Amino acid sequence: MPHQCTNCGRGFDDGSKEMLSGCPDCGGNKFQFQPEGVDATETPDAEPPEPPGPDSSVARTVGKTAASVRDFVSGSSSTDAPDSRSSGAPAGERPQSEPERPSSTTEDAAQASARGDVVEPDELPSAAPEPSDDEHQFRPVGADPDPPEEPERDDRPDLQELREELNDQFESIKVLEPGQYELNLMELYDREEYIIALQEDGRYSIQVPDPIQSE
Amino acid sequence: MGLLTNLKDSISRAASTLFSEEDPKRIGIYGPPNAGKTTLANRIARDWTGDAVGPESHVPHETRRARRKENVEIERDGKKVTIDIVDTPGVTTKVDYTEFLEHDMEKDDAVRRSREATEGVAEAMHWLREDVDGVIYVLDSATDPFTQVNTMLIGIIESQDLPVLILANKIDLEESSVQRIRNAYPQHETIPLSALEGDNMDEVYDKIAEYFG
Ligand SMILES: Nc1nc2c(ncn2[C@@H]2O[C@H](COP(=O)(O)OP(=O)(O)O)[C@@H](O)[C@H]2O)c(=O)[nH]1
Ligand SMILES: [Mg+2]
Repeated sequence: MPHQCTNCGRGFDDGSKEMLSGCPDCGGNKFQFQPEGVDATETPDAEPPEPPGPDSSVARTVGKTAASVRDFVSGSSSTDAPDSRSSGAPAGERPQSEPERPSSTTEDAAQASARGDVVEPDELPSAAPEPSDDEHQFRPVGADPDPPEEPERDDRPDLQELREELNDQFESIKVLEPGQYELNLMELYDREEYIIALQEDGRYSIQVPDPIQSE
Repeated sequence: MGLLTNLKDSISRAASTLFSEEDPKRIGIYGPPNAGKTTLANRIARDWTGDAVGPESHVPHETRRARRKENVEIERDGKKVTIDIVDTPGVTTKVDYTEFLEHDMEKDDAVRRSREATEGVAEAMHWLREDVDGVIYVLDSATDPFTQVNTMLIGIIESQDLPVLILANKIDLEESSVQRIRNAYPQHETIPLSALEGDNMDEVYDKIAEYFG
């Protein structure tokens, strides 16, 4: 189960839409990316009633966005504004419990591990190319997903895989490497829910919409 | 029609019912990093409420979460206009911790900063869709305004039919060119100003009252 409720630990399938309205069990609204085979605290018999197919709402949204981005970029009139209030919203009870702001638990874990991982400046991937104007060009989703060239790094082998999995699911933010992100603005704009907490190992938490925080 | 969609619909319905003439409009201050959004937000807040919104910085992405200042009452010609101003993180397509390393920052701080900045941009984009009633789009008039991000954001704002005011900031700089911005976005009115020096703020407030009042 690649996703796990950070509150009760319930697992969800990849791309499961159940999460989008909060955890059906406990009402939690934070979920963590839990790669296959890693520390599975899942409930073994939790059958997701809605197994995601290739026709999941996420996939549809991505397709739609790609189209509107292409329209946009090519300058053709797109008077039909990106209206992807996706109708494929999840079935299942909206839990009554109050959504909490992103708690610091996940963040802390990431920060702690970041702190324990001090790197000398000369170990840094200075090979990263200077961003040129061209690289700021928006790359439409759904276009040839040529992965950006990454410098050879002494990474844990599954990290790359993890990132690709994340990227496949959430085209709105590409994690090139921890601390380096590419944002798909149109997709972020179009999303019903949004990623609330990125973590440096390619994990993330998502949260359903919440009003603007007051100072 | 899923529950989430229903919920959202009822929220926006409730919002539009509650929204009366007197309610302050929520004005999002958008634009690329370092354009002077926070400097402007602070100046507006200081001029009309007495206190600031948040720290300004030459380090990009100082504002990583949107900050809001509510009930800013702007008086023009004896008329009061009340707005909530939302200072957003600069919108970009790329966030890279290595650019923070130049600013004397440790790697772990830099990585965390870019992660927060990325989350902040995600939020700001999300709000653009349903949580703002108008946009002040701030550009640094000393840099090229014709970027893909600016074009896309202004396009999104137009498609939402939101009132938008384009501000050409940093006119105190020698390299400043307001005309370059006018040429890039001729469909909108461009107001020159220096948020730092406070130049031309009167016209800015006139236009805020006119566009968002
Ligand atoms: N010369 C000049 N500098 C400005 C002006 N407005 C802002 N700045 C500077 O630009 C930098 C970025 O400002 P900030 O408000 O943090 O930009 P933000 O990222 O858009 O919020 C800071 O060093 C400001 O002092 C201006 O009108 N003129
Ligand atoms: Mg700022």
